[in-house]
Amino acid sequence: MLRSENPTRPATIDELLSSELIGKISHLDVSSRKIFAGKLKGERRSKKRGESVEFADHRPYATGDDLRHIDWNIYARLDRFFMKLFMEEEDLSLHIVIDASASSDCGEPNKFYYMQQVAMALGYIGLLNLNRVAVTAVGMRDELVIAGGEQSIAGNIRDLRGRRRTHDLARFLCSITPEGGTDFGQACKRIAMTRRGKGVMIVLSDFFMKEGYETGLRLLVGRGYDVFAIQVLSPQEVEPDIAGDLQLRDVEDGDMAEVTISAPLLKKYKENLSAYCQGLRDFCARREITGLTIQSDTPIDTLLVDYLRKRGLLR
Amino acid sequence: MTWATPMLAALVGAIAIPSLVILYFLKLRRVPREVSSTLLWKKAIQDLQANAPFQRLRRNLLLFLQLIILGLILLALAQPRSTASASAGRKLVLLIDRSASMRAVDGDGAGDRTRLEVAKERAIGLVEGLASPSLFEESERADEAMVIAFDRSAEIVSQFTSDKQTLINAINGIVQTDGPSSIEEAYRLAQSQRPNRVFIDTGPSGEGTDPVEIEGIKGGDAYFFHLFSDGRISDLDVVRADSQEQAGDAPSFEYHAIGSAGSVNVGLTALRAERDYEDPRKLSVFVGVQSTDLNPRSIDAELLVGGAVVSVRAVKLEGAKVNSQTGEREASTGGVVFELVEPNGVVVGVRLTTGFGEGGPSGGGLDVLSTDNRGTLIVPPAKQASVALVTTGSLFLREALRGLSISDLLVITPSEYEQMREDGETSAIDLFVFDSVLPEAGEGGVVFDPGRYLVVGDVYTGPGGVVDKGEGPGTQIINWRRTHPLLRDLTLDAVVIGKSRTIEIPDGSELVSLAETTEGPAIVEMSTGDVRAVMVGFDPKFSNWPFDVSFVVFLASAVDYLGTQVGTEVDVNARQLSPGYVLADRVPTDAGNIRVTLPDGSLSSEIVAAPDGRIVYGPIRETGMYRVQWTGSAGASDVEDDGRIVRFYAANLLDSAESDAGTLTQVDLSNRVVSASNQGEIKRLKEWWVWLLIAALGVMMIEWWIYNRKVYL
Repeated sequence: MLRSENPTRPATIDELLSSELIGKISHLDVSSRKIFAGKLKGERRSKKRGESVEFADHRPYATGDDLRHIDWNIYARLDRFFMKLFMEEEDLSLHIVIDASASSDCGEPNKFYYMQQVAMALGYIGLLNLNRVAVTAVGMRDELVIAGGEQSIAGNIRDLRGRRRTHDLARFLCSITPEGGTDFGQACKRIAMTRRGKGVMIVLSDFFMKEGYETGLRLLVGRGYDVFAIQVLSPQEVEPDIAGDLQLRDVEDGDMAEVTISAPLLKKYKENLSAYCQGLRDFCARREITGLTIQSDTPIDTLLVDYLRKRGLLR
Repeated sequence: MTWATPMLAALVGAIAIPSLVILYFLKLRRVPREVSSTLLWKKAIQDLQANAPFQRLRRNLLLFLQLIILGLILLALAQPRSTASASAGRKLVLLIDRSASMRAVDGDGAGDRTRLEVAKERAIGLVEGLASPSLFEESERADEAMVIAFDRSAEIVSQFTSDKQTLINAINGIVQTDGPSSIEEAYRLAQSQRPNRVFIDTGPSGEGTDPVEIEGIKGGDAYFFHLFSDGRISDLDVVRADSQEQAGDAPSFEYHAIGSAGSVNVGLTALRAERDYEDPRKLSVFVGVQSTDLNPRSIDAELLVGGAVVSVRAVKLEGAKVNSQTGEREASTGGVVFELVEPNGVVVGVRLTTGFGEGGPSGGGLDVLSTDNRGTLIVPPAKQASVALVTTGSLFLREALRGLSISDLLVITPSEYEQMREDGETSAIDLFVFDSVLPEAGEGGVVFDPGRYLVVGDVYTGPGGVVDKGEGPGTQIINWRRTHPLLRDLTLDAVVIGKSRTIEIPDGSELVSLAETTEGPAIVEMSTGDVRAVMVGFDPKFSNWPFDVSFVVFLASAVDYLGTQVGTEVDVNARQLSPGYVLADRVPTDAGNIRVTLPDGSLSSEIVAAPDGRIVYGPIRETGMYRVQWTGSAGASDVEDDGRIVRFYAANLLDSAESDAGTLTQVDLSNRVVSASNQGEIKRLKEWWVWLLIAALGVMMIEWWIYNRKVYL
């Protein structure tokens, strides 16, 4: 929970995605409980009739239909035009939102590093399966306002597709440094507005937001995304290892809390933490968001292979 | 409330309280830590705070409680004491009245307890309140107290001590008596413990002379007298309270009034029996009764003879008057006379019964004292004096005595008298009349054996006697004591003496001249202990006195007066005792193993009689019947019982001052008037520091509890 003194800052893709992990996740693919319409043909079956090789149905020809899809065999037999309808295969949009606020830069192992790794692994899976991958880092960046950008978005990379974009993804993830506060609601509003198409959205954050996470998640889910909220907590946040008379300073807004650590206080803190996490999960469950709380010392492969597969994100 | 060590507490307080407050101004130095979010921590703190009551007070509550603890400890350090009127080290004299009136049961508030019991309780309260030695200052002295119980006499029941238990035991050991109250002896006893005040006259030269002690002015530490009484003390004016200079601020004399000023009482104040002179079998019993009730009362007086009621008379008593000047009640008195025929010796009792109103004799506040409702008289058998005339043959005296109603007149010669004396038979005769002779000097020059003597025509010149200057010229009696019982009823103007005797009374002698001629004393009374003799210096033969009526009257009065001890009337009351006084009498010289049976039936230790048979016992404490018993020969009026001779005595209160039961609200000392203090409870000197420390401990426990709760904040 304390700010990491020497946080791991990955510089290369190897630090984000070990080859060992690649071996474990190569066979995975991103799935969605919903079937979305994609912009490009992909490997995903769409509910739209489309242009895949897989036949779906026939329908009478109407003026303006593509002549290439007329079933000439039927015409020969019945002397009428029928259109051949195929299963449309669409690509999947995978959008990863990563919390780049200062609060993420805490804990041992560092929460942000952990999120980076998770984002890299998921992005890699997406790219491998020809999904459209986008990553947005959420965090207040005052300098972006001056540059005319959106204040609540720390960084953005979109429309990555294909394996060769892996390095672009890794470069982007390495370029983000966690600092400052968040305006999660504003950031989500921005993401929802700029996002075209539908798909899977994975939100990686500790969800410790004083203004609340509800508005943001509601905006994301309202645009039809299949949202996964992965709450990353450091082990120290779950089991605080501090003691004595302390002046706790919030790394994001500098808010002070004077505490004298005592057994009743720790007990109360843990009660509040579990209630907070439970509240997040309950909120997610009500809105068809898949909520998940994970500690930053959980191995990445366990998270991907075990937890996310169980919850249907990966298959 | 006084403080034993206020400066110490102030000093410590001046250091400790600012220190404590400063400690609170110091802020706790907290270690700064950066955390991912204070969200949950704040929430946890808020949750805990929501559970803690009085949140606004919370911050300062501990300081407040600690200040209270500190304050209590400081107060304890100052050693507060409530109602200490002066610095410690006082010398207190507790004078506790144990006289008859303290037996009164006032009822209101005191229940069935007597005034003495209430007085003891209040005295114990005072003792418990005495200052104990201070904890921190060794120089501080404890109070000391002395306890004196008094009625007519006084007794130191505890010398000066600061040991409270000793004092309390002494106070509890005080025994009620029926005696009258007199504070003089008690006061003198207390004052005798003090040194006389020493004055040094420095004179004009400034050089000190020898110190001079002045009797009666006492120096040394001031004594603080505490009188526990109902104020019915006749001689309070002997008490001189210490001056303000000696006593300091505290009153040097405090009067703790015991009992109720409104208490009324009916009691016997006089009881007398007389036998008729002409017919000794007739007995008159005179009863005097007094009432202090403002309402008229009707009392029944019962006469008991030998324990049985023989007569009842109603006594009407007017309401007591209130003196308009002093505001004091003046008791109304009344009386009744019982007459009965009783030739034998009897015990006559008088009892006041009924008419006390509702509630019985001692209830309802109508009669607070029961002791004075009873009286007893010992009446010897009717008996006339036996007189022996020792003469060589005088006509006048023999014939005159024969004319008197004397049961037994014995006429003997001087040699026969000496024979009787040798045989020890003289005690059977009440009065010896010597006619112109004197007894021979016996062993050790004793002329008169114990007894009563009338010597006519001669004078005793031995030790303690007169100086005989021989015959004098003819003269007349010019002056005599008209108030003396012997000469009360007669006139000696007509007596002309032909041949007088010139006598002188030596300086310092106890002889009293009853009648004087121009030449000097003519009739002299000698009264030395157990010898009473009246000597007529001149010989009546050489005067016209025998022919005067006054001669017979004189002889009759002499027989009456000198026969007092065993005579007709006076003797009835001789066996009457008063509580507070000693029982003094004579028993036969051969009496042995003499003991006194007290009213409660207990037996005193053996009394040793003087060689001439005198015994002294006492002082007597209670009313009732006393029996002196011995082995040996019996006196004229004594009874034999189971081989022992018994003589009865009756002790009665018969004291109008003691029977006036209303408590005085103020007492008049010689130099000031002291009002009753603390009519209710006596304020006790109480040490509070222990309680303050206990309170501090209690607050500290609360503070500790709150401190522990604070961790939840």
